[in-house]
Amino acid sequence: MAQPAVSRKTYAYTFGGLLALTALTTLLGFIDMGPMNVVVAVGIAAVKASLIAAFFMHALYEGKLVRVALAGGVIWFLILVSLTITDYIGRRWS
Amino acid sequence: MADPTALLLREQYNNPVQQRESSTFGMWIFIMTEVMLFGGLFLAFTVYRMKFPESFIVGSGDMSITLGAINTAVLIGSSFTMALAVFSAETGNRRMLSIFLLATMFLGLVFLGIKFTEYYQHYQEHRAPGIWFDYRGPNPGQVEMFFLLYFLMTGLHAVHMFVGEGILTAMLIRNRAGSFSAEYHTPVELTGLYWHFVDIIWVFLFAIFYVEGLHLHKL
Repeated sequence: MAQPAVSRKTYAYTFGGLLALTALTTLLGFIDMGPMNVVVAVGIAAVKASLIAAFFMHALYEGKLVRVALAGGVIWFLILVSLTITDYIGRRWS
Repeated sequence: MADPTALLLREQYNNPVQQRESSTFGMWIFIMTEVMLFGGLFLAFTVYRMKFPESFIVGSGDMSITLGAINTAVLIGSSFTMALAVFSAETGNRRMLSIFLLATMFLGLVFLGIKFTEYYQHYQEHRAPGIWFDYRGPNPGQVEMFFLLYFLMTGLHAVHMFVGEGILTAMLIRNRAGSFSAEYHTPVELTGLYWHFVDIIWVFLFAIFYVEGLHLHKL
C-alpha cells in the first residue's frame, strides 16, 4: 500500500470539473426550458456524482465486490423510482 | 518488531489486505443503506413535483442561488481537501493529514453556517412549514409541501454533516495519537467515503431545489 490509489493531479482535475459543472448547472438554470430544466439539472448532477464516486471515492479503482454493492444501490433506486412513477402516471381514476 | 502491520491486524483476518477489503466493503454497504434512506425522500420529491409542477417551480424561485451555488462550491472544496487527506494518509504524511482534516472540517462548518443563514432567511420570509408559513399566491398548500420537503431533505443532509464533523474530529485525535501510517489508514479512507457520499447527496439536492425556479428569480 505504498502507492496512493489516485494521484493529486487526478483529484485536482476532478475538483475543477465539479466546479465547472456547478457553474454550468447554475447558468443553464437561467434559461427557461420548461420541464427540461429539472431534467438537465439532475442529469448534470448525475455526472458530478459519478465523478465523485469514481475518483474521490476510488470506485474506479476498487475490486468487483465494491462495484457490485454500488451497482446494487443505484439499480435499487432506479427500480424504486421507475415503478412508482409508472404507477402514478398510469392511474386514470384519480 | 518484524512486521509493523502485525499489531494492527485483528485476529479474524488472514492479512492486512483482507482486513482492508472487509472494512471497505462494509462501508460501501452502509452507504447503500443511506441511498435507501435518502432514496425514499427523493422519490417523495419526484412524486409531488409531478403532482404540483407550477407550485414547485414557484417554491424553487424563493431559493437564494448565490448562497446555494457558493455552498455547493464549498462542499465540493471540502471533498477535495478530504481526498487530499486520504492521499496524505496513503503517503504516511501525518502532518499534512492533520492539516487537510482540519481544512475539511473548516469547510464543512462554513457550509453549515451558510445553510443555517438560508434557513433563517426562509423563516423571516414566512416559509417555515408548520411553524410560520404565509404564502399569498395560488395553492399555498402545494408551495408549503415544497418547503416541507426542502427542510426535511436538507435538514437530514445537515445532520449527516454534523456526524461527519464528529468523525473527522475523531480521526484528527487518532492521527495526533499516531494511529495512522502509510501501512494502516483504513479509518481515514472510510471517513473519506462517508464525506464524499454526503457531498453527492448535496449535489442532487442543489439540482432539485435551487435550479428550477432560477429563470423567475431574484439573486
